[in-house]
Amino acid sequence: MRISFQEELDELEGSLHMEGELVLRSLRGAVEAVCGQDLELADEVIAFDDDVDAQYFQVEQGIELLLARQTPVASDLRLVLAILKDNLHLERMGDLCVTIAKLTKLTKGLPPDETLLEGFREMGERAEQMIRVALRSLEQRDRVAAESLLELDELIDRANRRIVNRLLEIGHEVEQREWGLRMILVSRCLERIGDHAVDIGEQTAYLVTGEFREFTDASH
Amino acid sequence: MNRTQTGLDAVHLDPVRATDFVPREPVFQLRDLSVSYSGNVAIRDVTLDVYEKAVTAFIGPSGCGKSTLIRCFDRMNDLVPGAKVDGDVLYHGEDLYAPGVDPVEVRRRIGMVFQKPNPFPKSIYDNVAFGPRVLGLKGTMDLRVEQALQQAALWDEVKDRLKESALGLSGGQQQRLCIARCLAVEPDVILMDEPASALDPISTTRIEDLMHELKRDYTIVIVTHNMQQAARVADMTAFFSVEVAPDGKRTGVLVEYDRTAKIFTTPADQRTEDYVTGRFG
Repeated sequence: MRISFQEELDELEGSLHMEGELVLRSLRGAVEAVCGQDLELADEVIAFDDDVDAQYFQVEQGIELLLARQTPVASDLRLVLAILKDNLHLERMGDLCVTIAKLTKLTKGLPPDETLLEGFREMGERAEQMIRVALRSLEQRDRVAAESLLELDELIDRANRRIVNRLLEIGHEVEQREWGLRMILVSRCLERIGDHAVDIGEQTAYLVTGEFREFTDASH
Repeated sequence: MNRTQTGLDAVHLDPVRATDFVPREPVFQLRDLSVSYSGNVAIRDVTLDVYEKAVTAFIGPSGCGKSTLIRCFDRMNDLVPGAKVDGDVLYHGEDLYAPGVDPVEVRRRIGMVFQKPNPFPKSIYDNVAFGPRVLGLKGTMDLRVEQALQQAALWDEVKDRLKESALGLSGGQQQRLCIARCLAVEPDVILMDEPASALDPISTTRIEDLMHELKRDYTIVIVTHNMQQAARVADMTAFFSVEVAPDGKRTGVLVEYDRTAKIFTTPADQRTEDYVTGRFG
């Protein structure tokens, strides 16, 4: 039994989950900032991304060291490869939260549309739920839960489409149109966070089965 | 043990990925092979095929019978008093243990390299020339010796001192000399029992590189304790384990035999997984 190796592997997985928690905080902050036009909070979200990045590097370096020193094979190898990719997905989610925060700042003083903000709250909740399901399915090596992300992704995609439709309906004032253009990107960011969660689910399925396959058209 | 995991007829070796090893003809076909020493079964009911011009590795913990098994391929177990071989070893479809098969001829076709380099206390040249001389092989001896040393990637290091004693070579060079000695009699198969375990990392790398070269022309079977070595050099890997009976008797069994890539990424048997990931023992 390679005790120290197992400990390192557990630690690495723990670091990834910690990164997931940071991303969840970032996501909540970004959605609150955009819905409440809270520029201060938007700045905090942008600054907080350094914490996500630091965690990302820690996981990255842990993987590098583990590969160099321990030569993992079989399920250990699959776990390390899954962590390598999940790490990138989480970091990208963090970046998308930053984009939402920046878009919030760009819409300072522009008139918001309440229906749309309600839509963002819904998408934010769905994205948060997807991240939780993705992380929990990894933790529990639960392929069925991982595959359920596909259905959750369909819901967030629908919410995204509703927002686009609503945007086409709102007024033709220049200010409203500018706000709407920024907000279509916010919607897109939230939808992309869902896609990254599905990708994490795919890695869990690979870890459990040893076969890599995409969950149909999830990222399209 | 589930025979479907080990038999030729049952190992599903259709290539799945473009990089998958595609087996050629089987050189050896073991069928329900068991070996016992004075009634104690060392390894039991092994059924597997060794494919032509590929490297096949046998891995497993001490006492799993992998060295016993490799000794069946050149009938070395015949030399052990009390040894008994049951089941079939087919070599190119013919029974290797049939009456009338000459073990000496078998060992000319099937060479063996051992853990510790064992050159004769003779010159480098004579070490390589010994086999061909004894067998009365035709052709120019100088050319034969040079070719064998070239193939064993030793020629450049020894060409100016062929008349010097082989015992003056380094351990890694001695092992390559033993490989050259093996090659000089034009074998079909090279068996290697822990060929690099007594060597330093650089010499080990050379032996491993050599295996990659040699498998173009020869079939290679290697027993190794070093799992990463198997992962690096082998096309096919067989994992053996030890079963302990209630009376304490230990018997080697074949657990899983598949493409090396499969064994080291998605092994089918939990015992293989536990061994290759280091969770065993």
